[in-house]
Amino acid sequence: MKEEFRFEDREEFIKKLEEVLASGVAPEKVNAVYPHPDHHIEEIFEKYVPKSKLKFFTLLGGLSGTIGGFALTILTVLHWPMITGGKPLISIPAFIVIAFEMTILFGALASLTGFVLLSRVPNFKRILYPEDYGNEFVLQIEREDP
Amino acid sequence: MKRRDFLKVVGVASSATLLSSCGVEKSTEKLIPFLVPPDEDYIPGQATYYGSTCTECPANCGVSVKVVDFNPIKLEGLADHPVNRGALCLRGQSSILRLYHPDRVKQPLKRGPDGQFQPVSWEEALQQVVQALKDASGAGRSNVYLSGRTTGSLSRLLDDFAKETRVERLPEYEPFSHVNLREAYRLVFGRKEIPFFRIEEADFLLTVGVDLLETFVSPVSYAHQLGRAKARDDFHWVHFEPHASLTGFQADQRFVVRPGSEAYLMGFLLHYILTNGLNKKRIPPEITNALPKVDVNLVAEKTGLDAEVLNRLAARLAEARTPLVLSGGVSVHQKNGLETAVLTALLQWALGATDRVVDFSRAENYASVGSVKDVQKLVERLSRGEIGVLLVSRANPVGTLPASVALAEAMAKAGFRVALTDFVDETARQCDLILPLSHSLESWGDAEPRKGLLNLIQPTVEPIFNTLSEGDILLAIADGYRGRPNVLSYQQWLLREWNRAYGEAFVEEFLKKGFFEFPAKPLPLGLNRPALTAFLKAARLDAPPQGHWLYAMPSLRMFDGRSKVLKLTSEIPDPLTTISYGEWITVSDETAERLGVQDRDEVAFLREGTRLALPVKVQPGLNGEVSTIHWDQLDRAFLEMDPRSGELLAVVAEGQLQKTGKKIAVPILSGSMEEAYERGIFPDHNGHGMKHHAEVRETLYPPHEHPEYRWAMTIDLEKCIGCSACVAACYVENNVAIVGEQEHLKGREMAWIRIEPFYGKDRDREMNFMVMLCQQCCNAPCETVCPVYATMHNPEGLNAMVYNRCVGTRYCHNNCPYKVRRFNWFDHHWETPLDRMLNPDVFVRHKGVMEKCTFCVQRIRVARDHAKDENRKIRDGEVIPACAQTCPTEAIVFGNLLDETARVTQLAHSDRSYRVFEEIGTEPAVYYLRKKEIKDEA
Amino acid sequence: MKHKEVDTAKPMTVREKIDYQNEIEERVLGAMRKPTPLYWVGLGISLLMVLIGAISWTHQIRIGMGVAGINNPVGWGVYITDFVFWVGIAHSGTLISAILFLFRAKFRSRFNRSAEAMTVFAVLTAGLFPLIHLGRVWFAYWLFPYPNQRLLWVNFRSPLIWDVFAVSTYLTVSAIFFYVGMIPDLAIVRRFKKGFAKRIYSVLSLGWTGTFKEWQHYNQLYKYLAALATPLVISVHSVVSWDFAMSVIPGWHTTIFAPYFVAGAIFSGCAMVITLVVPMRKMFKLEKIITVDDFDKLAQILLFTSLIVGYAYIVEYTIAFWSGNVFEESQFIYRVVGEYKWFYYLMFFCNVILPLTLFSNRLRRNISYLFIVSIFVNIGMWFERFNIIVMSLAHDFDPYAWGFYMPSLVEFGITLGSFGWFFTWFLIFAKTLPIISITELKEEVA
Repeated sequence: MKEEFRFEDREEFIKKLEEVLASGVAPEKVNAVYPHPDHHIEEIFEKYVPKSKLKFFTLLGGLSGTIGGFALTILTVLHWPMITGGKPLISIPAFIVIAFEMTILFGALASLTGFVLLSRVPNFKRILYPEDYGNEFVLQIEREDP
Repeated sequence: MKRRDFLKVVGVASSATLLSSCGVEKSTEKLIPFLVPPDEDYIPGQATYYGSTCTECPANCGVSVKVVDFNPIKLEGLADHPVNRGALCLRGQSSILRLYHPDRVKQPLKRGPDGQFQPVSWEEALQQVVQALKDASGAGRSNVYLSGRTTGSLSRLLDDFAKETRVERLPEYEPFSHVNLREAYRLVFGRKEIPFFRIEEADFLLTVGVDLLETFVSPVSYAHQLGRAKARDDFHWVHFEPHASLTGFQADQRFVVRPGSEAYLMGFLLHYILTNGLNKKRIPPEITNALPKVDVNLVAEKTGLDAEVLNRLAARLAEARTPLVLSGGVSVHQKNGLETAVLTALLQWALGATDRVVDFSRAENYASVGSVKDVQKLVERLSRGEIGVLLVSRANPVGTLPASVALAEAMAKAGFRVALTDFVDETARQCDLILPLSHSLESWGDAEPRKGLLNLIQPTVEPIFNTLSEGDILLAIADGYRGRPNVLSYQQWLLREWNRAYGEAFVEEFLKKGFFEFPAKPLPLGLNRPALTAFLKAARLDAPPQGHWLYAMPSLRMFDGRSKVLKLTSEIPDPLTTISYGEWITVSDETAERLGVQDRDEVAFLREGTRLALPVKVQPGLNGEVSTIHWDQLDRAFLEMDPRSGELLAVVAEGQLQKTGKKIAVPILSGSMEEAYERGIFPDHNGHGMKHHAEVRETLYPPHEHPEYRWAMTIDLEKCIGCSACVAACYVENNVAIVGEQEHLKGREMAWIRIEPFYGKDRDREMNFMVMLCQQCCNAPCETVCPVYATMHNPEGLNAMVYNRCVGTRYCHNNCPYKVRRFNWFDHHWETPLDRMLNPDVFVRHKGVMEKCTFCVQRIRVARDHAKDENRKIRDGEVIPACAQTCPTEAIVFGNLLDETARVTQLAHSDRSYRVFEEIGTEPAVYYLRKKEIKDEA
Repeated sequence: MKHKEVDTAKPMTVREKIDYQNEIEERVLGAMRKPTPLYWVGLGISLLMVLIGAISWTHQIRIGMGVAGINNPVGWGVYITDFVFWVGIAHSGTLISAILFLFRAKFRSRFNRSAEAMTVFAVLTAGLFPLIHLGRVWFAYWLFPYPNQRLLWVNFRSPLIWDVFAVSTYLTVSAIFFYVGMIPDLAIVRRFKKGFAKRIYSVLSLGWTGTFKEWQHYNQLYKYLAALATPLVISVHSVVSWDFAMSVIPGWHTTIFAPYFVAGAIFSGCAMVITLVVPMRKMFKLEKIITVDDFDKLAQILLFTSLIVGYAYIVEYTIAFWSGNVFEESQFIYRVVGEYKWFYYLMFFCNVILPLTLFSNRLRRNISYLFIVSIFVNIGMWFERFNIIVMSLAHDFDPYAWGFYMPSLVEFGITLGSFGWFFTWFLIFAKTLPIISITELKEEVA
């Protein structure tokens, strides 16, 4: 059974939320829907749920970008070594630029991937049947049937 | 050769053809030229060389014609030929375009009743000539033959022809007939000839106005000799001129004199020598008494030079061991030019130059060349209706004579006019029948440029169009006249003549070598007293009139205008002004300021009702009263004739200059001719260059490894005369596109090597040439920035350009500090049959691709293949890029820097050697040898 | 609905908040209503410009690069100027979006959606020019490192390859950033649409509901994207400036280019934002939302970056003459006395002199004046790139090689086409996507 509480006032919503979570309801069963990002609401939740793991995706992506960048440049130049401008074959200053850009690219793509995997967005059910709550703050609690 | 090798060669050659034919429309259908070669010795893609003669100008240099797949594609000088010694000038290199020129007359043309030319067959054309000859004789009129300079067997054939057909041979016509010079030698020595000048044996050369390096008689020969002479430390060259010429700027000392004062100068020198008893040969008193009276102060005033300078130079001239004084060209093409020439000849005698360095035993062959006076006589006869058939061969009198001679009008009175020519020029347009001549590369023949020297002319290709050689035409006409069947071809006639005159052994060697030099008989010389005395008594060293002078200088690129039709000569800029297409008039700095004009402003030169309007080019080093234009741009109305000798006078005085206010677009390819010294393009004379301000620092980069060869080049700037022959050779060798005037105006010339003129420290007296080509830098800025590796460094030290990888970002071109890279802005089109001239070893570039000098890598590859076959390394001198090969002064030396004994290594490490823009850190492979210290006032 | 100007800094009652939030939605989504004839005219003109550009480019590909005015020595001209110009404009969007986000500047939310859109479209426009200026554009794919049968890779030492990586990364990241930032707003749009349009926005908004789980990860994503985009802004335009700084040509080969170009990019980008937002604000009646104060702050950034750019000009000259290097000195003298001197004076006036007037409070708060100044700044910055590129090439080491370049009609046509291309995308954006970040405005009054 789904219990739903709608609030127009943010303060009321927050009070109710704190109440519900403090009362021992499992956080997975509590769903809050709100129209704009709200750090206070997040802080409340994060007392009971772990923080987002997205940063690890970003880190992994960034690192793979750096390594990949250097790997691409160094391995290709060793594969067919051609002298240009007398510069040493492994021109680190030049390759840093490539690695840097790839760090950012892979970091961004990895973050996006992480987001998709973690937040389950795109959500195909909701694409077909969207749920709109407007500017209201909504609290949905799944309670077991008695 | 073994069949396997043959197939290998065919495979390689055909794939090369495949690669090179991708851009050339014509040969895309034929991937493999021949499966079964028509000739035992023919190998597809392999070059064969034939000895022949260049006929672009009367100098007749010996050439070696490179023929690939039955197409002659390049001319190079014959290595041991006495005239050019392996070199070839700009016009000679460009002359291959004449063979394939699409505008050549392709078959005989007859003027129809509507006045237009219609094609006719050879039988009909020749039959008409024969008929006309017979008709004219029948009516009691004379038939005459007017040709350009004709030497050797053709001259003998003409004599035979004239006898058989009763045609009168007129004195030959050349615009540059040097008749004043010849007349002067007749007056002084009784020999109406131009002697051979052994410039390289002189130790003091004094020249007055003569354009030795541009068009004077045998420019490649003089240039080569000057190159040798300049290499010696005891050679000093002083040049006097009122105008600014390429030759003048190459002298060690150049003096700008007032126009018209050259005769006074020679008079003074002679006077000084004689008065001080410094003459090496005696001059009888009757002559010395007849000499015009000049004293140093008068001459100083007339010439505008310091009396002290004059005295010092005269003294130096006198004490030289082998002095040589020369005048000619423009200095004798004036009203008092004959006086100048006579005094020079006398001076040569007095200084003892005629013993060795002025050599009549090898005189240049102008014996049968007439003068304008002879043409005037023809005009009179024509006007009187005495001429029946007029045959004009290899000459364009209508286009080059003074307007006052009125030859075109007179020609209308002739019965029948025939032109034997390769292009429809002004003379041909007046004719009834045009018989197209084969190019010398398509015909048999010989030439005798000098006494005792016989050049071979042999065909290297089947005639491209329906043309015949002049010998064949003459034989056919004579046979037709005599009612004989025409069985003897000119080739057979020639072989018969040679065998008869010289013997069979000679003929074989002659055909193999391409020329033959007979031993010279020493000629004793003596003064022609009576004529000389009479002349001197009547001589007038005219006081220069007032007003502005216009000097029409013979053009390095166009000669007397005949080479203008070769587009390449217009594409390559004039080395002094860097103007490529178009016409211009030069003015001095002061005149420009006075008139308030800059480059490209139009001025009009006015004289007695004739007006010549041209855009201006400011030229330092010009006398303030003088302007110059190129000879072929002078309005015919300005030309005059010296009534004494018939010389064509091309110096016009008493004119005035006016600014018209118009601006004309002229492609001046150089951005600026200043600042060369500040920028380190030339180091200071004491050897310090930019190194003063910016030291060349140690490089951060690892050194290159060169396992086998490291190609490098040295260019001796002392020897470079700016003749641009290297530029023309490079164009022909590397299929560089000729882009035309519009592209030049946009600044898109394609030359891979260029001559950059820069004013010297003393702007009026010095102009130096930098030869700029791809420096093949070790740390090339261009290589780093190419995103696709289309340019990279190869293990032999070359900056390799990979055409098929280039995507055309042009970053390499931007990053080159020398700006030697050239981009193909459009696809280029060689109009048939010019596409036969393309070098199959070099890829023809498409639009969007970058190109540049490759040190003729195709030649390096061929040499490497040969060396590999013979299991050895490439020897020094085996690879010669096109530019180095053709340079008349041997200024460019190419070779392997790893070879310690190579010439290039020794020169590169000599104390005169430096590199341009070294402080940027590019490590170029081209070393320049700076000009030697200028020895100050003698 | 007329409301008095809302001061979002003051605390509001719940009613006021809800009214304000509804009003924002109505106004911003009102911009997406059926287009007026004026809009169609604007779109038509833009498309016409694109057509001219397309015809010019096709002509150039068929005939050859020679139809442009570039020559020896000036191998780069209007096309590279356009490239750097558009990349520069793109940077300001990311600055406003990402960097101001990290600094938590409030006024950012008025501009960031348009700015991000401007970024993406400007990069799309800029990305055309490396293709347009290629001599053999049909081989443009050789610029990307892909495994191929010839075993060829690209030259990673070349600044042009750095460009390829930087601009591709920039396009990808700013597109992601733009899109991700829009997801909640697209959900709002979905709420108001019906029928087929609703389906489209459903798909575009990826089924976003606004649950805690979604927001939790979303905030992280946005934060990290902003954090990644910040060094990207600096690096991308630095890389573009290194196209010039890595060469040896006097006037190009200088270490000041990276900060100079980045500052210049932000400068021109801010100006372009003003140019775009001022008329948009008028047309869609967003005056209450985008206030004069917001423009004031934007103008301050404009002024600040103009000072940096002016400083860079002075430093260039100082270093050139202090270096004693004859080539540098000659180049910088040429800039003020040579054939292009009027372009230099124009640039100096537009970029240095005119923005100094923004020290005046009154002028900064005059929207029409800001609009005019922004146009001049755009012109000035275009000419700055032109001057740097063309003047250095026209007058470098060897005096023989000095030359002159004037753009041809084809180059004008393509430049016109690029502006048309940009405005077409922007106009389409204005009608199909919310032009202000509704969600962030709501967050402000929470």
